[in-house]
Amino acid sequence: MTRNAWTIVAGREVMAKLTDKSFVISTIVSVLLIVGIMLFQMWFLGRATEFKVVVTDDRAAAAVAAAGASLAANPLTRDTIVAVEVADAEAARAALAADDVRAWLEPGPDGWTLTYFKDASSTLDAALPTAVRETVIAEQLAPTGQTLDALTRGAALTTELMQGDAARASIAMAVGFVFAILFLMSALGFGMQIATSVVEEKQNRIVEILASAIPTSQLLAGKVIGNTIMALGQMVLFVAVGLIGLSFTEYSTFVPALGESAGWYVAFFLAGFLALACVWAGTGAMASRQEDIGNTTMPLMMILMVAYFAAFMAEGVWRTALSYVPVVSSIIMPVRLFEGDAHWWDAALALGLNFAFAAFTIWLGARLYRSSLLQVNGMVSLRDALKGQR
Amino acid sequence: MLEISHLTRRFGDLTAVDDVSFTVPPGQMIGFVGGNGAGKTTTMRMVMGLLAPNTGEVRWQGAPITAAVRRHTGYMPEERGLYPKQRIIDQLVYLARLRGAEAVAARAEALDLLDRFGLAARAKDHLEKLSLGNQQRVQIAAAVMTQPDLLILDEPFSGLDPDAVHAMADLLRDHAARGVPVLFSSHQLDLIDRLCDGLAILAKGCLVAAGTADELRSRGRVRHRLAMDADVGWVRDLTGVRVDDVDGTTALIEFLETGAENSLLAEALRRGTVHELTRLRPSLGEIYQEVTA
Repeated sequence: MTRNAWTIVAGREVMAKLTDKSFVISTIVSVLLIVGIMLFQMWFLGRATEFKVVVTDDRAAAAVAAAGASLAANPLTRDTIVAVEVADAEAARAALAADDVRAWLEPGPDGWTLTYFKDASSTLDAALPTAVRETVIAEQLAPTGQTLDALTRGAALTTELMQGDAARASIAMAVGFVFAILFLMSALGFGMQIATSVVEEKQNRIVEILASAIPTSQLLAGKVIGNTIMALGQMVLFVAVGLIGLSFTEYSTFVPALGESAGWYVAFFLAGFLALACVWAGTGAMASRQEDIGNTTMPLMMILMVAYFAAFMAEGVWRTALSYVPVVSSIIMPVRLFEGDAHWWDAALALGLNFAFAAFTIWLGARLYRSSLLQVNGMVSLRDALKGQR
Repeated sequence: MLEISHLTRRFGDLTAVDDVSFTVPPGQMIGFVGGNGAGKTTTMRMVMGLLAPNTGEVRWQGAPITAAVRRHTGYMPEERGLYPKQRIIDQLVYLARLRGAEAVAARAEALDLLDRFGLAARAKDHLEKLSLGNQQRVQIAAAVMTQPDLLILDEPFSGLDPDAVHAMADLLRDHAARGVPVLFSSHQLDLIDRLCDGLAILAKGCLVAAGTADELRSRGRVRHRLAMDADVGWVRDLTGVRVDDVDGTTALIEFLETGAENSLLAEALRRGTVHELTRLRPSLGEIYQEVTA
């Protein structure tokens, strides 16, 4: 019977979370946030703005048409540029003032002028100079019989990546960012909650009732397993909502590949979380009041912060090496997999190392927990906690 | 029977409990008395296995106490508090299940106990919503759930109103009547006098007295009070008598020799009318003052 006591403890931890308003609310808010970001992305990428440019002669109309054509050739935007012809400068000014058009393009003897009413548009600023230059060059070439196309043949520059493609690389960056932030939030949030709940039990002495009823190892196992179930469940929910959301966007072609690395990510999350969970409990037990928690959990905070920043800042060989280091690998390796930079056996090795490390930290955390849990007089030093005398 | 046998526990240079031995027989309620820092809580924590003794041991039914016995021991720690943000009924059931009870039976027992303390209607409230006295009642209910084989209660009466003290005393008597040894600490000597079959007195980590209240009383000095219609100053001149106090027509005296009672009475009758010659029963408070002085 005592052997299964951890299931009762884990059950309580799960129920305590499910009935905790702040946990439920923060989970719902996070899901809404993920959905919201997706919707915003879809709207942002899907929207198309029509830029109307007022002109008073055919030369300007031709330049605007050229700018519109170059914009139409760009796959990253659906914006369009159209020309609106009016009789004279007076009418053009009026149209601009009435906000009927975005800008007024006017050729002059020494150069052209682009007039906005109040604020400039980066789209027009980017598209029109080239269009104007090409229009002017074409006009000057006309008497010679040469064409602009003939002159610039072979001058086009295309950007290519040797591995993957540009879109995939930019998604990989975004995914890396999301994975890192989710890992940090969840590991830190749940970790702190484990430490806090341990010190609460210690502070109000209920731990004496618990420890006299069941072995402390069962108590620790129940607490860690219960919280791991909740953290993992929450993570699976977030990742699933993210993937489903993504399948409705134009990035849906990446969902299968992302799904695979998300699967790895969840496995890595489990290993990384387990590696820290028992140590969180142990450091919680080393405190004897809520106020001490900040001190005793400091090393864990540092580890998580280092893992988080390493995931962003490390490059090249460093990044490859760190993708095998336990805890840090939880963030880097799934991204490397998506990038196509690592194979499944790399991931399996990193995951194995992560779980092996978790086994060690569970032993360490259990030792800290057992030796500190029943010490009621002040904070327990790390040395005393490791010595483990009751 | 619970035997506490030569328990010693040191914290650094401080010897918190020093070679303490006493027993709590089945069906008896033993009051554990001593000032703050006398070592009561440390002793109880060692009984519950929360603290390891430096030397000595705790025995149950003649053998060293085991985790299984402790699991079936109702324990109430020194400082109060269960889970403040959890429903009362849920945590009572949780604690009972950890001791091996079935959820359904535990729920019925918890409701029964709450009913006994007049808290049945609040079973689904969060603990923190209750007054401190009522939280204490829940704590007591948690300790006596699942019909424990032994009860170890640290200051169970502190902070209780008179009604709750009454209900608590009844509850403890019920468990003692089942044959359960009950050890509880308290500062309220009158309460211990009323409730307990015996007591153990600690001072500065040492056991200074143990036994039934009557045994302890008989160990102390027995005094008598003499009251007459005339001045009793003459008692100071009698041999075989120690006079503690003379106040006009009454005197507090101790007989040092056998037969001194008769000679005092004869002299008193010669000098006037005797209203009273009474053997005084020392209160536990007086015994406590005496042994811990």
